[in-house]
Amino acid sequence: MFDRIWLTYKQQRFETLAVAVACLGAAAWALLASWHLNSVSVPASCLVGGHVPYWNGPSNSSWIPGACQLPSQRFTDALSSWDVRIVSSLGDVLPFFVGIAMGAPLVARELEQGTAPLSWALAGARWKWLAGKILAALLLIVPLLLIAGLAADVLRGAQEPGIDPHASFDYFTSRGVFFVLWGVAALMGTVALGALFGRTMPVVVVALIACLFARATWEPLTDAYVLHGMAVLQMPGASSPGELLVYQSDVLYLDGKVYTGTDCTLFNGVPGCQYAPGDEPDPSSIGPQLAWYVVTGDNYWRVVALESAIMLAGSAALGAFALVWVGRRRPY
Amino acid sequence: MGADAGASTATAALVAHGLSKRFRKKVALDSVDLSVPAGSITALVGPNGAGKTTLIRVCMAFERPNAGRVEVDGVDPWRHRSEALRRVGYVPQTPAVYRGLSVEDHLAMARSLHSGFDADYARRRLDQLGIPLDQRADTLSGGQGAQLGLAIALGTRANVLLLDEPLANLDPLARREFIQVLLDAVRSEGSTALLSSHIVTDVEDACDRLVILGGGKIRLDCPLEQARRTHRLTDADSPPPGATAVGSFLGKGGQKVMTLWRLAAAAADGADGQSAAPETTSLEDVVLGYLAAGRGTAGLQLN
Repeated sequence: MFDRIWLTYKQQRFETLAVAVACLGAAAWALLASWHLNSVSVPASCLVGGHVPYWNGPSNSSWIPGACQLPSQRFTDALSSWDVRIVSSLGDVLPFFVGIAMGAPLVARELEQGTAPLSWALAGARWKWLAGKILAALLLIVPLLLIAGLAADVLRGAQEPGIDPHASFDYFTSRGVFFVLWGVAALMGTVALGALFGRTMPVVVVALIACLFARATWEPLTDAYVLHGMAVLQMPGASSPGELLVYQSDVLYLDGKVYTGTDCTLFNGVPGCQYAPGDEPDPSSIGPQLAWYVVTGDNYWRVVALESAIMLAGSAALGAFALVWVGRRRPY
Repeated sequence: MGADAGASTATAALVAHGLSKRFRKKVALDSVDLSVPAGSITALVGPNGAGKTTLIRVCMAFERPNAGRVEVDGVDPWRHRSEALRRVGYVPQTPAVYRGLSVEDHLAMARSLHSGFDADYARRRLDQLGIPLDQRADTLSGGQGAQLGLAIALGTRANVLLLDEPLANLDPLARREFIQVLLDAVRSEGSTALLSSHIVTDVEDACDRLVILGGGKIRLDCPLEQARRTHRLTDADSPPPGATAVGSFLGKGGQKVMTLWRLAAAAADGADGQSAAPETTSLEDVVLGYLAAGRGTAGLQLN
């Protein structure tokens, strides 16, 4: 088995090297950016809501307390530097690059270059042949993506000095263990497409589109169908421990009943509102207010576990499809 | 024009019954019945598109037959793929090697995929041919690449070897070496080989049985010696007595259309006292006759 794993890396040495350099480079870059942000040392008294330093942009510094002016300015400059901005967005790209880069050649290139029959003739059971290659890819990408994901967690902590990244839902699907989960899902999906199409370039293109679609729809779908059971109503003015995942906002009466009126009766002076005589809103009334259904930060690991389970199940299904399909398809 | 009675299935290493394979409208194999005797080296000869590769790919479970069945060493490869492929060594049409992997890496890969792979045996064969084990496989010459493919197939120590036109892209010297290595290995191991080729002269010395495939059908299936002995090539106007015309084609020199005749068994044996028993026909002429018959014309007609 060791031979087969090593030979898989050797066959895909370019992709293996690119993936290793990308993951370790991104991790190093994120840690360097974190060190840069942490070196500003913004005092706790200068954190807005206990989370982030004042944003000291060119036009809005007048309202920042005097003692916070300088650290806020330095933090804002560091946060808006190009390297921090680029490395912050890697979480939405790197796992997909890694999964597609390792997954596309696994089956598709073997079929394309005519080497699959040689291996299939020797292996007998094709699923064992593919399982060995998938295992090799997983052994490479899981630790590398975990390193990059943990570095992204450190970076998030540096970007919001007052929060615990492991109790905050800020960009939580673009860092930490989600690096690994997205990477594994992209790998399995790409391998399945490779078994289906048997051509590298179409596999890469379709995998990219599929990854974009999955990334764009994941959060709306999990919010709507998975997390609703964990969301609690947070009344206006109430505070909750940790960071919140806003599941849904609603307009409520303060007794918790959902408001069913219109904006015209909720807010005074909404442009275009026509009030019937005697129906004008009472300016002294507290009235209904905006409230949120939220998932609190103490559910962080529960949410991560739930979403991880769903992603891993999806990845396993894609992998199983690839293993079955590769046994059915004919070589070129 | 049916197949001659082949070997009994009890001693056959490869058996096909009513094997058919279509690719959309194209019929690649049409109710093929075949029996390759154990221990034989059988030449599978036919023009391009005759169905040779398809037949071998069905035996390798790369293609699923539309009808009929095939057994390799008694095992149906489609139903019991792992078990069947353990008994088969396969050499593909073009030497498919992994770019960037050395010859030794290929042997290591074969060992990791096939539990019974004898890497030392394969290594010894490559050593004898002077093929460096540390050389990248994609930099080997065509002949060396084919020898690597053959060494991997032989390293499986399989009972049955299926070779899909391995000689097609080799120069004459490389072809000779390949055949010699194959012969040595098959004779010393007592295995069975089905060698597909359209280069008749190369298989003539190596094989003891001939199967001619044309248009997806078996045109001839008999021992090589019998094929030579039971056919005569003459011009169309002078048929041997009691012979049946097989096919006509342009003779050597391009001057004359020649016809291949199939003799009655008694005539071939010389028992009728009319034909000269020792006379034989070249294997190339036998094959050309059947290929012309499969094509349905005598090719270029001369006035």
